Amino acid sequence: MAGPITDEALPALERWLAGAAGAGRVAVESVERLGGGAISLNLGAALAVSGGPLDGRHAVVLRIGPASGMAASLDKMHEFAVLCAARTAGVAVPEPLFACEDADILGGPFYVMRRAAGTAAGRLVVRCEAPQRDLARELGRTLGRLHRVRPDDDDLDLPLPRDGGAAAAAVRDYRAWMDGAADRDPVLAWGLRWLQVHAPAPGDVVLCHRDFRTGNYLVEDGRLTAVLDWEFAGWSDPMEDLGWFCARSWRFGRTDREAGGIADRADLYAGYEETAGRSVDAARVAWWEAAAYLRWAAIAIMQGRRHTSGTEPSLELALTGRLVPEIERDLLIHLRAIEQGA
Amino acid sequence: MRNDPDARRLLAAALDAYRAEVLPVVPPERRYTALMIANAMAIAARELDGLDAAGHAMMAAMIPLVGSDADESLSGAALSDRVDALQRRLCADIAAGAYDRDAGALLDCLDATVRARLAIANPKLLEG
Repeated sequence: MAGPITDEALPALERWLAGAAGAGRVAVESVERLGGGAISLNLGAALAVSGGPLDGRHAVVLRIGPASGMAASLDKMHEFAVLCAARTAGVAVPEPLFACEDADILGGPFYVMRRAAGTAAGRLVVRCEAPQRDLARELGRTLGRLHRVRPDDDDLDLPLPRDGGAAAAAVRDYRAWMDGAADRDPVLAWGLRWLQVHAPAPGDVVLCHRDFRTGNYLVEDGRLTAVLDWEFAGWSDPMEDLGWFCARSWRFGRTDREAGGIADRADLYAGYEETAGRSVDAARVAWWEAAAYLRWAAIAIMQGRRHTSGTEPSLELALTGRLVPEIERDLLIHLRAIEQGA
Repeated sequence: MRNDPDARRLLAAALDAYRAEVLPVVPPERRYTALMIANAMAIAARELDGLDAAGHAMMAAMIPLVGSDADESLSGAALSDRVDALQRRLCADIAAGAYDRDAGALLDCLDATVRARLAIANPKLLEG
């Protein structure tokens, strides 16, 4: 057994799953720790279900919340609700199965989803002689479908951006997450100042993934199979997801292919406009791409602190904290490009 | 107290041995961790070697903006404190809007600052 699924935890987990599946019995087998998920823990497993509507064997993933919560991330029950809403909207996601609020079973709330096929590893996804134009277009369509979910036609219990709209709320959040780092680091100070001065006026608010990028979706034979990692989802400006997707941080060495290292922006944008019911506002995307670097820097700082504070000692978290100069370099390249284009 | 070899040389020797003898034979399921260890040791080694040089580069980049004198004799903690003080001053100016109309000189300074930090954190990104 792996991680929190100890031999002691297993019987309670199996009893809970049997209840959730309406089955006579569920056996949890072949548990393995899956890669990715610096914040949540992902465990792969096989469920042998006896009786009930799911009778049979199922490859699943259990997603368990972190020991120390992140300011930006949803708890597992809300993440599960978002996953269900995305699936209803026609977004390719791993099929959500059950969510468990009881923290006594695995040490934190968790949910179970069907395991989707394909690879998410950024380096592998971008490895392709020719640009992957169809994949970029399908990712654009996917995002467009997600962005049709609006606050008033869903009962997702997620906070709406307040005072000044999504852009202003984002700048406030990043500054708070950085917890004083922008008073000492002039690149962060300038980034936040630039965002504040150039913030776009409030506009549409839709369901955003907020970590929609290469590395967080599964690809099999060049085709999208599922979008993963919904823990940062929330109501925001739809251009936020496009800016995040195109940020240099997620091109995995293929900096020439501005849409996630896989193709040109044009393919992503064209797919988006097919399904979203709105056109892409390039200037707004550029603002949100600048915001992406500040947000990623803030997250990297928080990750580093999870290590240094002693709450969660981890070499991976420690090294994430040292990514800040790299993120700052990308921010400066982007801001110079905007200035030269203006 | 002086130790011979010092921390820098010990770390360099450990990193060399780790890369030559351990990294090639770690099993695939431990390779990610092994690469993280090599990366962390390499960053620490570059920091031990180059922190003062980075501090001087950052100080030199900020002085035209914050109007203070460079002090080339500073090193170690005194240098770090000085760089920190200059950075705080520059951050306060930025937040007050001093560069809203013309950010040209500021961007040059920020580029130099980031280059100095990348020389420690990830020097591969300085190429090209």
